[in-house]
Amino acid sequence: MQQELTLQDTIEGVARIIIDELKLEDVTPQTFDPDLDLIDEVGVDSMDLATVALVLQDEYGISIDEDDYPKLKSLRLIAEYVLAHAPVKS
Amino acid sequence: MKTVSSLLDSHWYQRYKRISQLNIRSSIYDVTNRCNLRCKGCFFFSSGEDKVAREETDPDKWAAFVDKEKQRGVNLAILIGGEPTLCFDRVEAFYSRMPTYCATNGLIKVPRDRFPDMMVGISLWGDEEDEKRLRGQNTFRISSNNYEGDPHTYYLYTITPNQIGRTGQVIRKIRDAGLKVHMQLLSNDEAVDGFSWRQGELDDLRAEMDEMLDTYPDTVISSKYYHQVITTGKMLDRQFGWRECPSVTEPLDSRDPKPRRLIHFIRWASDLETMHRCCTSATRDCSTCKDGAAHMSWIMVNKRAHMRSSEDLQNWIEVYEMFAKLYQFLPW
Repeated sequence: MQQELTLQDTIEGVARIIIDELKLEDVTPQTFDPDLDLIDEVGVDSMDLATVALVLQDEYGISIDEDDYPKLKSLRLIAEYVLAHAPVKS
Repeated sequence: MKTVSSLLDSHWYQRYKRISQLNIRSSIYDVTNRCNLRCKGCFFFSSGEDKVAREETDPDKWAAFVDKEKQRGVNLAILIGGEPTLCFDRVEAFYSRMPTYCATNGLIKVPRDRFPDMMVGISLWGDEEDEKRLRGQNTFRISSNNYEGDPHTYYLYTITPNQIGRTGQVIRKIRDAGLKVHMQLLSNDEAVDGFSWRQGELDDLRAEMDEMLDTYPDTVISSKYYHQVITTGKMLDRQFGWRECPSVTEPLDSRDPKPRRLIHFIRWASDLETMHRCCTSATRDCSTCKDGAAHMSWIMVNKRAHMRSSEDLQNWIEVYEMFAKLYQFLPW
C-alpha cells in the first residue's frame, strides 16, 4: 500500500518542479515560501503555468484545467489542488 | 530569489499589479482578401496571402467561428485583411462577442453607432510624399477627416528609412487631428528601392522615436525600450528571429526547443480554416522582420527574463502598458 501524500510533501514536490522548470535561482524547495504569490511576486505567467502543469500531470497523475490557472497563485494552493485531484491510491 | 516587490518601489509595483492579471490572449484574423488600396510593400499582397484561401461569406459561419475562438480562450480579436471595413458584417461578428481591434487604412469610416468603442488602428506610411509614392494617394487627408477627435482610434505609423528627420511633422498633424499615434518600422518585403534599413539609419531613428515620445507624450503611445528592441532587434542578450518569435501560429509551431510564445495564438485566413504561419508574411526573412506587434509580444512573453534588475522590469512594465493601451485594456 502506497503512503498517502501529505500537504507538506506535496508543497515541497511542487516547489521542486517549479524551481526546475522555471530555472529559479537562490531558492530551494525548503526555503520557497509556500504562500508567496507566484504571479505578483515570482513573475509566473500563463506559459509558465502551462509548463508546470504538464510536469504536475506526469508526477501526480492529475490534469489541470486551464480555467483553473488563475486559482493556482501559490505553492500551497497548487499543492492543495494536487491533493484534491490526485487519483486515490490503494 | 528575486521577487517583483524586491525590484520595484510601490509606484512601479502598483503599475505591475495593474497589468499582471490581464492575461491577454490574442489571435489575428484576415477578414477579407480584398483591399481598396494596393500599397507597395504590403506583406499581405506581396507574399500572395490574398490568394491562399477563399473568403467565407456566410455571416452565420463567421459568428459560429468567433464563438469557437472565444471557447478556445481568445479574448482579443485583431482584425486585419485585406481591408476589414469592406466587410462590416464580419467585423460585427467579432465586436459583438469579444474585445476587438480593427486595422484599417481609414478610407472608410467605421460607423460609431454600430461600433461605438471598437479600437481602430489606421495605417499610415509617412508624409504626403511617401503616402503617394507607396500607396498611390495621401490617405491621411481622408482618414484624419473620418476620425478626427475619435477617442477609440490611433494611427499606426509605419516609419520607412525615408521618414528619418520627418516624423515630427507627421506626428504634429496627428496631434492636431486630436488622435494618438503608435510607431512601427517598415519591413521592406517588396524591396522597394530606397526603403530598406541600414544600421546607421536605425540608430538615428531610435533617437528620433525617443525624441517624439518626449516631445509629444500625450500623442505618442510608445516606450523607449520598445524603440531600442525594434531598432536593434535585440532584447537583453538575445537576437530576434525565427527561433525567438512569439507570434507563430501555435498549431503550426514545430520549433524545438519551443521559445516562449503567445499562448493559443493563431493567424486565420478568411476562409476560417486556413492558418498562416505567423502574424505577418510567411515569406519574410525573420532575421530582418520589423513587425511591431511581434517585437512587443517578444518582450511581453519574457517577463521573468526581465527580472534581472529594477530597470529591466520597469522596461517590461512600460511595454506591457503600451500594448494594453493600444488594445484598450488600459486607458490612454
